[in-house]
Amino acid sequence: MFSSLVVQAILSGVTNGVIYALIGMGIAVIYKGSGVINAAQGEFSLIGAVVAVFAMKAAGFSYPIAFIAGAVFGILLGIVVDVVLVRPMVRRKADEDAFLLLTIGIAFAISAGVLFFAGRDYFTLPSIGSDGVAIVFDATIRYHAIWVIVACAAIVAALRFFYRKTSFGLAMMAASIDADGAATTGINVAAMRTATYGMGGLLGALAGLLVAPIVPISYYMGLVLTLKGFCAAMIGGLTNPMGAIVGGIILGLVESLAIVFIASAYKDVVAFSVLLVIMILVPQGILGRRGRKGG
Amino acid sequence: MLEIGGLDAGYGRLTVLHDVAFRIGDGEIVALVGANGAGKTTLVRALCGLIAPTAGRIIKDAFDVTRVPTHERMRTGIAVVLENRRLWGELTVRENLRLAEVNARQGGKVNFTLADVTRLFPIIAERQSSAVELLSGGEQQMVAIARALLMQPDLLIMDEPSTGLAPKIVKEILGVIRGLRDRGISLLLVEQNVGIASEIADRGYVMALGRIVHEIVPGGWQSFLSDERMVKAYLGD
Repeated sequence: MFSSLVVQAILSGVTNGVIYALIGMGIAVIYKGSGVINAAQGEFSLIGAVVAVFAMKAAGFSYPIAFIAGAVFGILLGIVVDVVLVRPMVRRKADEDAFLLLTIGIAFAISAGVLFFAGRDYFTLPSIGSDGVAIVFDATIRYHAIWVIVACAAIVAALRFFYRKTSFGLAMMAASIDADGAATTGINVAAMRTATYGMGGLLGALAGLLVAPIVPISYYMGLVLTLKGFCAAMIGGLTNPMGAIVGGIILGLVESLAIVFIASAYKDVVAFSVLLVIMILVPQGILGRRGRKGG
Repeated sequence: MLEIGGLDAGYGRLTVLHDVAFRIGDGEIVALVGANGAGKTTLVRALCGLIAPTAGRIIKDAFDVTRVPTHERMRTGIAVVLENRRLWGELTVRENLRLAEVNARQGGKVNFTLADVTRLFPIIAERQSSAVELLSGGEQQMVAIARALLMQPDLLIMDEPSTGLAPKIVKEILGVIRGLRDRGISLLLVEQNVGIASEIADRGYVMALGRIVHEIVPGGWQSFLSDERMVKAYLGD
C-alpha cells in the first residue's frame, strides 16, 4: 500500500514536473534570447488555456482547433510583447531591472484583463485521449497525464531539432550568443529576438493547454505557474533551456513526495527549500553550462 | 568601392570619430593603423552599422549605406571580421559557416564556396564538428575569416586579425589575405602592428585621437616607418 502511494506520487510528480519544465523552458528561452527574465510567462499559459476554452464554448470550435488557437495566441502574445513593449525599451537602452518591471506589469495587466473579460470562473479543458486511467504498480495515472508526458517529450525533441538543425533556429541561437557576430553575418538580430518571444509565448501557451485539463485555470494563477517555471529553470540552469526539464521534474517530484512523506500543506515549503539548497550548492544550476547545446 | 566622408561617430554623448574621410578603390588593400584607443575599432563598428554615425556619409559602390542596418549592409558586399572574432562558441565550425552561407549576399560577383574556404584553411574540414570554443585562437581566426568570405563580400574589413596569434599563424593568415585580391576582394586591414600592415597593404591611413592624421601613399611605407618621430607620435612605442 505504502509503495503504491510512492509510485502515485512519482507519477503525479513527473506529470506536474513536465508542465513546470515547459514554463521553465519558455523562461529560459526568452532569458537566453534577450537577457530578460519574463515574469509574465505563466500569463502566457493562462492566455493559451483561456483562449482555447472560449474557442470551444463561445465560438463552438472543436477541441483540436481550439487547442491550436490557444497555441497561436501564445505565439502572437509573445510577438506583441516584444514588438510593442520590449523593442522601444531596447532602443532607449533600458536596464535589465526595467525589463523585469515591464514583465511584472504585463503579468498583472494580463491577469486583470482575463478577470475583466472572463470573470472569476475556473476554466478547464477536456482531457486529451479519454478520461480513463491506467494502472501502474497499483497506482493510477490518467491517460491525459501520459499524453502530457509524451507531448512534452515531443516538444523537447522538436525544440532541439529546431534550434540545431534549421537555419532559422540556428540564427536565433547565434543572435542570442553573439549579437554583433550575428548582425555582421546578415542576421536580423531584432527579428530573431521577436521570434524568441514568439517561441516563449508558444511554450507558455502549450503548458497552459496541457495543465488546464488537470488543474482548472483562473485569472490569478499565472504568477504561481511563473514561480514554478522559474524554479525549474533556475534548478536546471537559466541559460540552458534543456536544463529546465531536469529542474521541472525534480521540482514536481519533490513536491509530490513531500505530500506523501510530510504533509500536503508543506509541499511548497519543501520544494522552495530544495531550490534554496540547490542554489547555494550549485549556483549555475544542476546542468550549469553543460548541455547548453540544447538551444 | 568605399568612400567615407565627414564621419562623426561615438557612443552616446561621447564622440570618438571626428570628420573621418578616406576611400578604398577596387582591388586595393588599404591599412588603417593607429595606437590603442585611436578610434580604429569605433570606425569599424560605424562602417558595419553597429553604431550610428552622427554626421557624414558611407558610400558603398555609389550606394549610400550610412543608415542601412547592419544585416542588410552586409548584403551590399561588405563583410567584416570583428575584433575578438565574435564567433558563436557553442556552435560547431560547420554551423558557424552554414549561417553565413544561408544569409550571404546573392548575385554578387564574388562566389566563395565551402570547398574554397576549406582549401584556404584545411583546418575547417578537420574540425568541422567541433564547437568553435574548443578551437585555438588561430583556428578561430581562420573560421572567422572563412565565415566572412562566405558572405560573398567584395570588400572585407578585418579588425586586428593578428592580435594574440603566434607569428607562424599570422604568416599563414596573411598569405591567405594577400591572395584574396585575385578573387576580386578589396581589403581594409585595421592593424595596431604597423609592420604587418606595411607588409601587405598598398596604401595606408594613420589614425590618432579619432582623426585621420596621415596618409601613406603607395610605396610610401618605407619612408613612413623610417620617420621615427612620426611613428612614435602616432603609434606609440
